[in-house]
Amino acid sequence: MVIDQIHDLQQVYRKVVHSMSRPGSISNLNNITEKLEDDLPCNHAFFLCALTVLDAEVTFHVVASEEKKARLIEILSSYNMSRIAPVDEADFILLLQDAPEYQMNQALLECKTGNLHDPQQSATWIIESGLLSNISALSLSGPGINGTQQLQTGIQQDFWQRRNDKVKEYPLGIDLVFADFSSQIACIPRTTAVTITEVV
Amino acid sequence: MIAKPHFAFFDEGSKKEIRRATLKAVAIPGYQVPFASREMPIARGWGTGGLQLTLSLIGRNDVLKVIDQGADESVNAVSIKKLVQHTTGVSVTEKTQEADIIQSRHRIPEKALKEDQILVLQVPNPEPLRKVDAREYMTKRMHAEDDYSGAWLLLFEQIMKFGRMSTGASHPVYVNGRYVMTPSPIPRFDNPKMHQSKGLILLGAGREKKIFAVPPYTSVESLAFDDYPFTVESFEGKACKLCGSTDVFLDEIIDPDTGERTHQCNDTSYCMEQLNSEEKVEVENSYV
Repeated sequence: MVIDQIHDLQQVYRKVVHSMSRPGSISNLNNITEKLEDDLPCNHAFFLCALTVLDAEVTFHVVASEEKKARLIEILSSYNMSRIAPVDEADFILLLQDAPEYQMNQALLECKTGNLHDPQQSATWIIESGLLSNISALSLSGPGINGTQQLQTGIQQDFWQRRNDKVKEYPLGIDLVFADFSSQIACIPRTTAVTITEVV
Repeated sequence: MIAKPHFAFFDEGSKKEIRRATLKAVAIPGYQVPFASREMPIARGWGTGGLQLTLSLIGRNDVLKVIDQGADESVNAVSIKKLVQHTTGVSVTEKTQEADIIQSRHRIPEKALKEDQILVLQVPNPEPLRKVDAREYMTKRMHAEDDYSGAWLLLFEQIMKFGRMSTGASHPVYVNGRYVMTPSPIPRFDNPKMHQSKGLILLGAGREKKIFAVPPYTSVESLAFDDYPFTVESFEGKACKLCGSTDVFLDEIIDPDTGERTHQCNDTSYCMEQLNSEEKVEVENSYV
């Protein structure tokens, strides 16, 4: 069975909107990811999120091991004709779990954050993450959160310090979409204050 | 031959573009994200922004409610409902609590939004600083520089002229302490409903090609001065002549023959619900 570009992607979009407007809240894409085939270089939820936002009008940049990178670029551009771009120009940064750390750090440093006239011209990250859960590792607060929200993403602490540096000059910043192997997604937009509560 | 319309009217490329703009709008609360507003089968300025948001959001299992100035049955609401229903086959409702997506023109329903509901507001003039400067480039720069002296000055001039802030609708608000935004032409009465709302609020301006948003649990403060605090319209001593509600936004109705003034709920579905529940109690009592 294949996914339905109209109705399935509409469902994915609604889940992403839900999670983006409520940072840290986890949405499940199980009923759609099971329609996908197994030979993808990334997890299914990640692939669906990428399909939902990418088309010929936007660019992306993949941060991953060489082998997976080539495969993902080939699949994505043949699915929706989106183009690749250098990291400092790409609208979407796609980060796979096996990405070398120095490449990830470099991408965090160089990706777009928009400018004060057009803060929307910033990069959105789609990140293949470890199991997402609402147990204490990060404490989130800000718009969309009633009080505080806990989230665990499995990504290293270092990442969060760099991310916090990147969103210091609000409204400039980057927005993150996390997708894990059990078809869950969670988002952290630039408005969310992230504090590390647990030393891993 | 009449071709069957594509699901939700738009081609998928258009939906994607609106969706990307919406996600950015949610991430930057109150900031007007430009988007490529599409030609719609209704005239620009008549709800095309809201309609485009609704069509980009809606799925087969959603339940839609559309209101126009509080009424479910006025022309604008009915034609929008017809178009969405024709192209998607979704069911529509008049009950606020049953809807997944509520598209509204100039009112926020009296019933508070629920967690999973999305309120889509139609916005004719998204720029709160347009009266300060007619040039888009300049107002964009003011937003960039966090320079809202013009917005404050407009309110100050009203106080000088009339002794109070005289905004009838779209009283400007600070969203998340950064951007000044027009809440769309809702009465001041509805401004506090945006503050820490449980549901997501999306605003779309089709003619002006802007999408902006207020995520749930976000601070929305109406602009006001220490000595001239923000006040909502007062309906003290007045009640709806049909259902008797007092803590709602009321329309004043003047009888053209007698000149008599009466008041009525502006939110028709809320009024109907009150009447129905009164009726139910009445019926139950009379059979005991």
